Amino acid sequence: MKSYAVALAALLPCLAASLGGVDKAKTIGNPSAPVRIDLFSDFQCPGCKAFHETLLPTLIRDYIVPGKAYIVNREFPLTMHPYSRQAADYATAAAAIGKYQQVADALFQNQVSWSTSGKVWDAVAGVLTPAEQKKVQALAKDPAILAQVQQDVDAGTAQHVPQTPTILVSRGKQQYSFPGPDPGNYPLLRSLINGLLK
Amino acid sequence: MASSSKPLGWLALVLRIALGGIFIYAAWAKLRDPWELYALAINSYEVLPLWAVEVVARTLPWLELLVGIGLVAGVGLRIWSSITSLLLLVFFSLMVRAYAKGMQISCGCFGGTGDIISPWTLLRDGSMLAGSLVLTWLAFARRRQPAAPGRPVSDPNPASDRIPV
Repeated sequence: MKSYAVALAALLPCLAASLGGVDKAKTIGNPSAPVRIDLFSDFQCPGCKAFHETLLPTLIRDYIVPGKAYIVNREFPLTMHPYSRQAADYATAAAAIGKYQQVADALFQNQVSWSTSGKVWDAVAGVLTPAEQKKVQALAKDPAILAQVQQDVDAGTAQHVPQTPTILVSRGKQQYSFPGPDPGNYPLLRSLINGLLK
Repeated sequence: MASSSKPLGWLALVLRIALGGIFIYAAWAKLRDPWELYALAINSYEVLPLWAVEVVARTLPWLELLVGIGLVAGVGLRIWSSITSLLLLVFFSLMVRAYAKGMQISCGCFGGTGDIISPWTLLRDGSMLAGSLVLTWLAFARRRQPAAPGRPVSDPNPASDRIPV
């Protein structure tokens, strides 16, 4: 987690100069990097928590920091998880005020707790100031934010995302789906990205 | 013998064209994408170390292509049908094992991202295995046929007794 935070701090200038609107805050790295990595994730999925805490920092270290790729976080709340949609709404609302990564970290860190209690807001509120809390609560009900989450879901469905997490690696017209990335198959993912970078 | 061998000959023809076509398509579906995607599907079965997964992912589609062409061409059918049966036996066994263990993984039959293993995919691959076993039996059957009455065992032209596969 520490290395993830350091990497994020190093990338802040890139984030500031990247996409406009909410997308900017849901993107990690420089969008002019050659390879784009769309990460379809569900805040209530244990595999996504494991990915966020173990593989994501590695991916950031290997590809985002050197400017070879950038990550676009996409919400893909599965219907089997009763609170993941609500979590996605809060995270996307937080993105509108530039707090996506902080809220995402908090949601994954406290996943076991809010998945059991259903108190999603408690995890989110912990990393926001009272003023930010007010904004995020209002934004989480904003139809534009809800539509944005739905847009991600629709995009994932159109790409036949079979599970979470799923990574969509693309460069130009080349686009490949890599479902279930984990430390065990990371050499394959690395080889795939390196192939696109050639 | 000729009357019973004719329908069997047609059956063998249908089986080898169908299986050959499926194998060629499966090979093409894997070869059009980077090998890493097929490797990911193989790796999800959790039976091979990663280095072996890479070897299989890089070579198996080419073998499938060769087998498919061999089946469609109908030359050396005993060899190609035997390899097909062996391959399908291995694929089917691995799919049954994965399904029994409750693994929600892509079968990898037609490339990296494909059907999740289910009763449907088991039925599909099971039917292919059954068809392949029948084809293998038909390919070898001509050897087991007795010589026609009045014809020496070492008939220099036994084509009329052969199943026209």
